[in-house]
Amino acid sequence: MKVTYLYEFLLFLLLILLQVLLLSRITLFGLATPVLYGYFLLKLPVGRNIFYVIISAFLMGLIIDIFLNTPGMNAAAITLVAMCRKPLMGLFFEKEEFEGFVPGMNSAAAPFIRFTLFTIFLHITLLYLIEAFTLFNMVNTLLRIVTSGVTSILLIIALDSIIYRRKNGEQS
Amino acid sequence: MRNLFNFIIRNSHWLVAILLVAFSFYLVFTHNSYQRSVYLTSANRVTGWLYTVSGDVSSFFLLKRNNRELLERNAQLEQELYALRDRLGNQSPTDSFTVEAFIADTTAVPQFTFIPAEVVNLSFSGVNNFITINKGRNQGVKQDMGVISHRGVVGVVSTVSANFAVVIPVINPKFRLSVRLKDSDNNGSLSWNGNNIREAQVQELPRHETFNNGDTVLTSFSRIFPKNLVIGRVSGLGESADDNFVTFNLELATDFYTLQDVLVINDRYYEEQNALEEKMKQ
Repeated sequence: MKVTYLYEFLLFLLLILLQVLLLSRITLFGLATPVLYGYFLLKLPVGRNIFYVIISAFLMGLIIDIFLNTPGMNAAAITLVAMCRKPLMGLFFEKEEFEGFVPGMNSAAAPFIRFTLFTIFLHITLLYLIEAFTLFNMVNTLLRIVTSGVTSILLIIALDSIIYRRKNGEQS
Repeated sequence: MRNLFNFIIRNSHWLVAILLVAFSFYLVFTHNSYQRSVYLTSANRVTGWLYTVSGDVSSFFLLKRNNRELLERNAQLEQELYALRDRLGNQSPTDSFTVEAFIADTTAVPQFTFIPAEVVNLSFSGVNNFITINKGRNQGVKQDMGVISHRGVVGVVSTVSANFAVVIPVINPKFRLSVRLKDSDNNGSLSWNGNNIREAQVQELPRHETFNNGDTVLTSFSRIFPKNLVIGRVSGLGESADDNFVTFNLELATDFYTLQDVLVINDRYYEEQNALEEKMKQ
């Protein structure tokens, strides 16, 4: 159990570093910026305490905000996503799933992809809407939501598949 | 009453979440680039340090290119130096005699001095673009100082900590600057529409203003930048919101993708001018 928490903490740090040092500097075609740190919420066990989920999500958003000079934007978006995590999980996963179940490509690929799709699109839509709220140019914002969403989801599915494959190799 | 307590306890996670979201939105809306706490920006010590490490690594890959640019710049300056020397040397005694009277007064201290700094972080993923540089209060950097690169205007210092500063670049929608075309006296206003990192817009120029693609755009009167600094070149006609004014696009001289070394402008008379103008307002 304790190893799980350590693993989650490492994931937390790695995703923040990946986001602020690499991904946030990428702008594909002047539009798409991958936003990957929502992956943290996807990889938490199903039955994890909701306080833990919300507070860790908020802290993650706040740290990323401090790095990117966008006070509050990422924090607000990811906390709202954390609030919707449980209802979303109820939609895509079986109720009988045991507490420590971690969603992933290796355990249940199809529901995981659907879950990723909804969570990440929700996150990116919220993020760009909050950003655009203080600003202009709606068409551009919508384009950026769609392109960034697609890029992020593809990256997350690829990342999760790679980790899954390696674990599979270790087992055999 | 008991039901109320039960309700609160059962839904306390929602309350916590709503409080956190409210706090985030509070940050979003009170966020004013000129009065922000240093702790919540990339100018604070921890983030500054991390960005310095990552900046050191990435600057390594740009060394060759920067070296070449510095050499070119050096050559250009040397050329100018020789040209100036030549002119001074050719001056007849009577020519220089007439200016002698002023020299004792005016050559003593230059108005503008420069603080060299390195870029440790660039963030331009979205519409909220910032640059963090590795010089701060201890090195004499203050709020509202202008920042330039060897190619042209970069931005204005907005937040300063002990050893770092955050710069609002030209490519931030909040940035405004008064500009003019090289061969014209009309002033326009420079802004950025959020679409392209290499292109900004000049607005509020009178309809009769003529310009060609490739014309140089310079700073005009400004409290922050010296006059006649290069900003960029005209790259085409833009969309105008008003029939009485023209808007054109401008290709920025500074390449923000590879920006490494910048100079912070220290204007000796900034505070004096500021104090005088403040006095007028009262």
